[in-house]
Amino acid sequence: MLLIKLSLRNLLRQKRRNILLGSAMAIGVCILVVANSFSHGISDIMFNKVMNYVTGHVAIRFNERGGVMREIFRDRARVFAAVKNEPLIESADEAVGMFARAIGNGRSDNIILVGVDTRKGLSEKGRKEVEESFRLIEGTWKDMESPAIENPVIISEEKARYLNVKKNDIVRVRFRNMFGQDQAERLTIAGIMKNDNIFMQPVVFLELSREKKMLGYRSYETGSLKLKIKDPQKNAFAVADRIHEKLRPGTAVIYASAAGRSGRRPAILLGFKSDDQSKKQIAGLLKLSSGSFEKTFRKDGVIVPAGLARELGVTAGSEMTVRYDRKFEKTPREAVLHVSAVCAAGDYPGRDVILLSDSGFYDLYYFDLPAGPGPGAEAYSAAAAGAWSGLVAPEWVLLKRTFNTEDYTKKYQEIARNKWKGTTIDVSTMYETASDILKLESVLNIITISAVLVLFFIILLGVVNTLRMTIRERTREIGTVRAIGMQRSDVRDMFILETFFLTLFSSAAGSLLGFIAMRLLSLITFHPQDNPLGMLLVNGHLYFLPTFPGIAGSVLLIIAIAVVTAWFPARRAANLSPAQALGHFS
Amino acid sequence: MNIIEIRDLKKDYPLGDTIVPALRGVDLTVAAGDFMSIIGPSGSGKTTLLNVIGCIDLATAGSVKVGGREITALDDRQITDIRLNKIGFIFQTFNLIPVLDVIENVEFPLLLMKRPAAEARRRADKLIEEVGLKEYAAHRPSELSGGQRQRVAIARALVTNPDIILADEPTANLDSVTGASILELMRRMNEIEKTTFIFSTHDANVLKYARRIVRIKDGLIEKEPVAA
Ligand SMILES: Nc1ncnc2c1ncn2[C@@H]1O[C@H](COP(=O)(O)OP(=O)(O)OP(=O)(O)O)[C@@H](O)[C@H]1O
Ligand SMILES: [Mg+2]
Repeated sequence: MLLIKLSLRNLLRQKRRNILLGSAMAIGVCILVVANSFSHGISDIMFNKVMNYVTGHVAIRFNERGGVMREIFRDRARVFAAVKNEPLIESADEAVGMFARAIGNGRSDNIILVGVDTRKGLSEKGRKEVEESFRLIEGTWKDMESPAIENPVIISEEKARYLNVKKNDIVRVRFRNMFGQDQAERLTIAGIMKNDNIFMQPVVFLELSREKKMLGYRSYETGSLKLKIKDPQKNAFAVADRIHEKLRPGTAVIYASAAGRSGRRPAILLGFKSDDQSKKQIAGLLKLSSGSFEKTFRKDGVIVPAGLARELGVTAGSEMTVRYDRKFEKTPREAVLHVSAVCAAGDYPGRDVILLSDSGFYDLYYFDLPAGPGPGAEAYSAAAAGAWSGLVAPEWVLLKRTFNTEDYTKKYQEIARNKWKGTTIDVSTMYETASDILKLESVLNIITISAVLVLFFIILLGVVNTLRMTIRERTREIGTVRAIGMQRSDVRDMFILETFFLTLFSSAAGSLLGFIAMRLLSLITFHPQDNPLGMLLVNGHLYFLPTFPGIAGSVLLIIAIAVVTAWFPARRAANLSPAQALGHFS
Repeated sequence: MNIIEIRDLKKDYPLGDTIVPALRGVDLTVAAGDFMSIIGPSGSGKTTLLNVIGCIDLATAGSVKVGGREITALDDRQITDIRLNKIGFIFQTFNLIPVLDVIENVEFPLLLMKRPAAEARRRADKLIEEVGLKEYAAHRPSELSGGQRQRVAIARALVTNPDIILADEPTANLDSVTGASILELMRRMNEIEKTTFIFSTHDANVLKYARRIVRIKDGLIEKEPVAA
């Protein structure tokens, strides 16, 4: 108490000097607070306003058969099951988007068609968010669902102006569907929206089911999934990990019946992996009685075990048909297969098992997903495959989780290199995919760090100089209090406390100044279309998001620097011999 | 009982390459409750002697016992405690703390002793009254005259009830009338509180207040005449 009183009163004693140093510190804190809030604002725009609509906080992505463009998963229900019962997920949406060339009245431009699930119904919060971010100046969101309008869409004001189209005009679009075929469609402008930032300008909203149909999805199939997570910064990684765990693939099995010359028998169709290493291993396990392993890689080639071949009346070179019930369609699927080899003895995945190379197997499996084993029939278990368990084709390929952008990019390069025959599933958070955004943030962080460094030197020089002067002026006073009986450590603490309070008050003033500065800066209106920094704006204004930890962190950092800096001169003052200090006349 | 016992005290100051002997073998004993003056010409070693007795400077050689305790072997923390608890100082230049008002200056040593604030305030009030500055309790030192400041310093020195009060030329910065009143006050406090006072001076006029006079010259104490 005594020390606090003394240091506060001493602080007031050299007003001019302390106000000067305090102002410098306050300006520093102000810059820090503004920079910090600005960079938080940017991450907020990027992650919570942009990425949120593009990939969600966590995305589940599919690439069928190694095709980077082929973002499809054939069993929509199965993935939605993996995200069910997860309380941290606020919403799970199909993210279907495509680039298209739009031809308006006399002008054409690229657009991004984004599917919106209007049927699902939004939560109150979600509706508010959407209405805030995309304010309609013409039309209503409801019009997008209207069956009376041909492909109703909502387009941004800027894009509409560029394409020279008005409400109810028709825009023709050309695009490539998921299977690489060029398509053309007609869209009707049902609404025009004003939006927050430049990223959203090329976006054209279309009802999800219509968009899926255009791209070639069937109703039970899905594109990528985007998930909104509660408190994503904290939870996104854990949720992604849990979903990843739930998406571990089993063995892909087709429960079928096979028919040859002598009759029809139940059979199980499995794929085998056809990469070089697996091939070598399989060649070692198989003991062929006729035909050749190589021929199995031809289209529709199969390996049949000797017992089953005898029952069906097929030999190497002959044809057979298989038939199986489909999961999502009523009629069964039939296919003609060629017996490329008959396996006599040796290790084999099962006596009813017909083996196809994975490439041929997935042709059937993905295009017409098979139903389960059916009543009374026994499910095929991977354990029965024995030595084959690692060699039979899985339902899909689950890509391992990555935690930074570098690994994520590598992972996708590997997809292209590996030529996976199955569909790959990737679960990732926006933090590992948003490399450019993170880069932008790190640039801002560098700016902040430079501000800290400058501030650091101001404090260092200011505090050391001020204290040195103060100590020289007060030497006799130090001698007096030491003679009266104040301990060395108390003298030291008194000077440190003085610096501490000066920094504390300056930080408070600086934070206040920062808030005022942010207030003023956000009053300025920018015009995003002719400003490359438009993406940093919200409704044409700079956007700041001050956070308590950010500000408290800055303030603590500055106080820490100041106190550490004050330590040494303060200790020197405390170590003065009292007799010498008393004999000092200034 | 002797409150101070000094045997063969030597104090050298290093000055560049040479050594300045400020005290060259001082023997001195002071009885408790005495009111003693050290007189000597400028540079004779008065301040040095008082500093060593007051534990704010260390002896080069010899033995110094304050209140029966040898102080030459103590560390800084212990010596600081002795200064706080056993010794009061009155300085030629008053040395009040400018940011504290009169009452706060006086209670300051008690707060350093971690005495309860209310008790410290009560004791400080009493002493301020005794030195005749009751109306000035809330004034800052800069608002007081030299004589008033020295009264505050006397109150501050007395507030902890020390064994000894050391005053290095307490009247040198005051006119002779004020100086006389300060010495009278010290003398009265010596009688009321029974505190040992040692003050230095080079002014023979103030010697009449002293009960005992010690003369110092060139770092040595001159033989004392038989007390009057
Ligand atoms: N810090 C110091 N460094 C070097 N020499 C010193 C120091 N302090 C005192 N001296 C020397 O020691 C001797 C005694 O000094 P001291 O201050 O004790 O004398 P004094 O009797 O108090 O004199 P004055 O009446 O002028 O105050 C002097 O010769 C002085 O020059
Ligand atoms: Mg002197």
